[in-house]
Amino acid sequence: MKQGRHFVAVALVAAALIGATALFNNDYYLRIVFMMCVYYLCAAGMNVLVGYAGQKSLGQAGLFAAGAYAAALLTTRTEMSPWLALVLAAGISGVCGVLIALPSLRVKGPYLAMVTLAFGIVVEKLVGEWTDVFGGAQGIYGIKPLTWNGQPFTSVQWVWFGIVLCAAAHLLLRNLICSRFGRALLSLQADEIASSSVGVRVYRAKVIAFVVAAVTCGIAGALVAQQNQYINSDFITFHLSIFILLLVLFGGAGSMYGPLVGTVILTLVDALLARWPSAQHFLYGFLLLFALYVMPGGIMGLVSQWFQKAKKAGLAAGGSAAPTRIGPDGSGELLVVQGVSKSYGGVKPAQDVSFRLQRGHIHALIGPNGAGKSTMINMLTGVVDPDQGSIRFLGQEIVGRQVHTICCLGMGRTFQNLRLFADLSVLDNVMLGRHSRMSNGFFSSLLSLPQARRQEVATRERAIQLLDLVGLSHLAHQPAGSLPYGLQRRVELARALATEPQLLLLDEPAAGLNPQETAELGQLLVRIGKCGVSILMVEHHMDLVMSISDHVIVLDYGIKIAEGKPAEVQANPRVIAAYLGVDDDAVAAT
Amino acid sequence: MTEALLQAIISGLAVGGAYALVALGFSITFTTTKTLNFSHGEFVSAGAFIGMSALFLVLGKPVSSTTFGDAIPGAGAQLLALVAALGAMGLLGWLLYAIGVRPFAGRPGMAWVMSTLGFGVILQSIGLAIWGPKPVVVPAPVGDAVIRFLGVGVRPQELLTLGVTVAIMLVFDRVMNHTMVGKAMRAVAANGSVASLMGINTNAVMIGAFVVSSALAGLSGFLLAPIAQASLFMGLTVGLKGFSGAMIGGLSNPRGCVIGGFVLGVFESMVNLWQAQWREVAVFALVILVLAFRPTGLFGKKMVEKV
Amino acid sequence: MQLKRLCAGLLAAAAVTAISTGVSAQDIKLGYNGDLSASPSAQSGQAAVIGMEAAIADINAAGGVLGRKLTLTTRDDVSAPPKSIQNMSELIDNEKVVAVFGPTNSGNAMAWKHIANQKKIPVLGNVGSGTDITKPMSPGADNYMFRVSMVDREQVAALMAYVKKNAATSKVVGLMAETTGYGQGGLKDMQEIAEVQGIKAAATERFGVGDTDMTSQLSKMKAAGVDTVVVWAQGTPIAQLVRSMEKINYFPLTLTSWAADNITFYDAAGKALAEKPLFMRTVSETRTPAQQKLFDRIGAKLKAPGSFSFALHGYDSVLLYAEAVKQAKTTEGSAVRLALEDLKTPVQGVLKAYDKPFTKTNHDALTAKDLVWIRWKDGKLLPYTDALIGSLTPADFKQ
Repeated sequence: MKQGRHFVAVALVAAALIGATALFNNDYYLRIVFMMCVYYLCAAGMNVLVGYAGQKSLGQAGLFAAGAYAAALLTTRTEMSPWLALVLAAGISGVCGVLIALPSLRVKGPYLAMVTLAFGIVVEKLVGEWTDVFGGAQGIYGIKPLTWNGQPFTSVQWVWFGIVLCAAAHLLLRNLICSRFGRALLSLQADEIASSSVGVRVYRAKVIAFVVAAVTCGIAGALVAQQNQYINSDFITFHLSIFILLLVLFGGAGSMYGPLVGTVILTLVDALLARWPSAQHFLYGFLLLFALYVMPGGIMGLVSQWFQKAKKAGLAAGGSAAPTRIGPDGSGELLVVQGVSKSYGGVKPAQDVSFRLQRGHIHALIGPNGAGKSTMINMLTGVVDPDQGSIRFLGQEIVGRQVHTICCLGMGRTFQNLRLFADLSVLDNVMLGRHSRMSNGFFSSLLSLPQARRQEVATRERAIQLLDLVGLSHLAHQPAGSLPYGLQRRVELARALATEPQLLLLDEPAAGLNPQETAELGQLLVRIGKCGVSILMVEHHMDLVMSISDHVIVLDYGIKIAEGKPAEVQANPRVIAAYLGVDDDAVAAT
Repeated sequence: MTEALLQAIISGLAVGGAYALVALGFSITFTTTKTLNFSHGEFVSAGAFIGMSALFLVLGKPVSSTTFGDAIPGAGAQLLALVAALGAMGLLGWLLYAIGVRPFAGRPGMAWVMSTLGFGVILQSIGLAIWGPKPVVVPAPVGDAVIRFLGVGVRPQELLTLGVTVAIMLVFDRVMNHTMVGKAMRAVAANGSVASLMGINTNAVMIGAFVVSSALAGLSGFLLAPIAQASLFMGLTVGLKGFSGAMIGGLSNPRGCVIGGFVLGVFESMVNLWQAQWREVAVFALVILVLAFRPTGLFGKKMVEKV
Repeated sequence: MQLKRLCAGLLAAAAVTAISTGVSAQDIKLGYNGDLSASPSAQSGQAAVIGMEAAIADINAAGGVLGRKLTLTTRDDVSAPPKSIQNMSELIDNEKVVAVFGPTNSGNAMAWKHIANQKKIPVLGNVGSGTDITKPMSPGADNYMFRVSMVDREQVAALMAYVKKNAATSKVVGLMAETTGYGQGGLKDMQEIAEVQGIKAAATERFGVGDTDMTSQLSKMKAAGVDTVVVWAQGTPIAQLVRSMEKINYFPLTLTSWAADNITFYDAAGKALAEKPLFMRTVSETRTPAQQKLFDRIGAKLKAPGSFSFALHGYDSVLLYAEAVKQAKTTEGSAVRLALEDLKTPVQGVLKAYDKPFTKTNHDALTAKDLVWIRWKDGKLLPYTDALIGSLTPADFKQ
């Protein structure tokens, strides 16, 4: 198995490194290798946070401090064994990771950078000023180092321990990244709203990403504290945060080996120039300024450009039978909307709207622009909360519930302005759709348990089936954003289907399609309907609406003005008036 | 006790003036380019040193002298130095925009954070090579005798900083809200591509934003130098505190940023009165508190996304 | 595999840097690890190195030590502990120095103390004054840290003795310190010695090293009726402190750390205010002939005349080390340590004559009785004396 081979390869490399270091008898070089291991731990965790989850964090020094000071205080204030202290330090840093994540949840971009920066600085000032506890600039010394056979680690043993930890971290993180969790992180980096619409619990995923980075930085900090047997507030600086970030970005954020490459190169350069601090300082500034300009994807980005991997061939079309069942059969009421109202100041997209959707039918929601159709879809899926009214789905009240919860209940959707995960492949997009139906959680993914691997295989098969259904299996490995517009719409549709919805909400699915494509879409929707998925589509293409809908609802300025079979609605004078207007004479005559 | 309180407030406002200038600088670049100049602190130091070097040159001393000794530069020399500092910093701002921001602005990712930081590091390296790490005492243009009123003592330079900050805030307010230039800047901030479709030269506006912001940084450094001694490290704390002031006030609101800067200065002074060693922690804890409840700052606009 | 190639590269780079720079194997290699460029204390570090180089030149001219020449390898630690630790490792493991001199920052010494003790390399500090630098790792353990420089605790002992003797006019005492490690350490010493002397501090205030306004803290002192304040901070903050005193027109008797000798203090405080603080140094600007001779020789290289004291420390620290090596007849660490702790021959240094400067329990060559009381006067660091100082005896310097 590919995984087993990777494990053996990593083990061999680690053994080779350990063997190589046994040849050094120079503590200085050993110290350099040890620092590489420490920085690699920080960078690997940060890569998950910055590269995969896309959270721009500038406060790593605070997490490093959490681990270092936890280890320091635990071994100097109590008689705890340094090994236990190391484990506890990792845990305490994890808790700090949650603390830094919480204010960061609701902000994005530069504001996120600021919040994390403030956190890093608060920790820096705290350990510097609260001298009674943290020792300030005088520091804490006499930290117990790790021991083996009763003796403190020698320099060589520290390096071996470091290498083992790095290898373990690499394997675990790789498991995580190649799993459902890693995909979820990439999706929330690309588009948070689409991510939650497929059932990803965005906040939880972000917090976990922060915790992963925190734990690795914390362990790194604890190692430094224990190896030096001393820590003070001068170790915790903003420059440390930037350096860790640079390790990730320089190596290549979002790539598996980026942190390794970044760590090795930057630590070596640092050590080689140690004799000339001003040159070192200058080069550091130079790297910061130009490296990302020259290599936006870091070194690994450059490398992967040079060695363009052969594009994996698409899957043969019709290789697996298209699914015949996505949702349950049956009849009866699926969704009951009762008296729903919403107003944004003077604009009222919904005024006391009520309707019912039946299982097994294709419904359409039509109306002129600005009638409140998209708002209605947003209210049904939980993106927006109605001011009044109730929405009952499968008998449960869903007003006020979270987007991902509603998705798990069985509602899937597509978006008016496409929200695909553009950098991910078509297959990954569809596999993400099935996120909420997979049961391998964080820990089973981390350890790559057999159950997790089975889930991955099943999801992949399902995704391929769905791609067959929409006719895109030959493009499975293309980046979704590179497809033409019409095909992108179909990918989004497949992704929504992967959530195994009982009710599928489509927001203008035929927008931008020519008549031929619109007709094909109509046939596809009918096929999907036969697989047990009820549909509600918002549409302007009247031919599509009239040809395939069983039931049409008409909105105008937030008010439902008509409802019924397509032919009835088409002939309804109020509907005609809303769309086409009424002659002034005719109005004056009445 | 009220004397001490009054003294703390006045001193807080004086130092808050410097923070407010820096905060305003951050706001200007953020609103027009959605980027921040993470080397703003180094720009403050650079402004102080360029002004100081200009003064040395006028007095006939070499640029890397370490002290003014007994030579006191006159008002004319000070004004010349100010112009030199503002001009040089403006140029540096343009350079920073061209090299470090323009290639990355608008793109998602952290690239502009790193590049602006790198610019600052290089600036500091060059500064250390020319002037060394030792702080230089700079004579104040308005003298140094303590002014006393209501039992409070304040130095003329502190009042000058305060006055200049308030004046600049008023001028800036006027320009942003009542002139075409201001409208153009706000248009670019709202939507750069549409602004250029309307005939506004977005690139020029962005360059202008960086030039103005850097000149403001230089001005803060120039004003601070007689109070705190010109040092290549002076900008770090001021830059950080100014940034915190901007975060508290709300980066997208220039008026809010200035108020945030003043609030921070006075808050610092108050904490000093209570327990000075907690000052730094209190300041940054305040920042986190504000950001936790109002992520875009006290006066900032909420970010709304259309789904 | 990519990884293996990287490893090979690492080993190759290591081999290249292992080629030493034409230093003959017979030379005695000394190392210096301190701040030479990055902070205001870099001045002191540079001065110490200049003094050391002068001493090394003199010793080599007279034939060297045990027939071998001395050489000096310097490393700049830019005031950062991680870098200081790295330098220590490089000097000891890579450059294979037999002794290290430095550092400039007390915090950095604390960070690598255990390395010096583990590797049995004698360290002679000539700048950093933090009291704990020369404390052994654990009570009674072999201690490889020595010092020829100001010691914070010794200064504090002298200052507190003065305050105690001055009880008639110094009724209410206040303590102030900056929040750096230097200030913290000094504050700890002040509080402990105050207790020993039976002095109760009415107020203790702190300020940041970059603060420009200490009026709030001073107002609190004024409200508590403090008439004597002992301050532990670096030059620039002390200057801001006296300027703040001027703002609120409150001038208690001010005793400070030696950092007030820095030229930045004088420049920032201005001539009038600079004369307020009373502090101690190892030497004033009234020099002995030997000191004047050295000053004439190297004074031009110093960035500020005030940092001459560190050049003296540097010079004398090398002399003491050379004498210890001569006595031990080897450069091996533990033998040199034993020799230092029991120097049989007095050494005529430039600062003073050293007769048994170190013992097993005392690793500081300069103690309170070697310090000179100083006040700025007309821009010069002049020795200060008054009736009170005249009446102080070593017995008063309780610790």
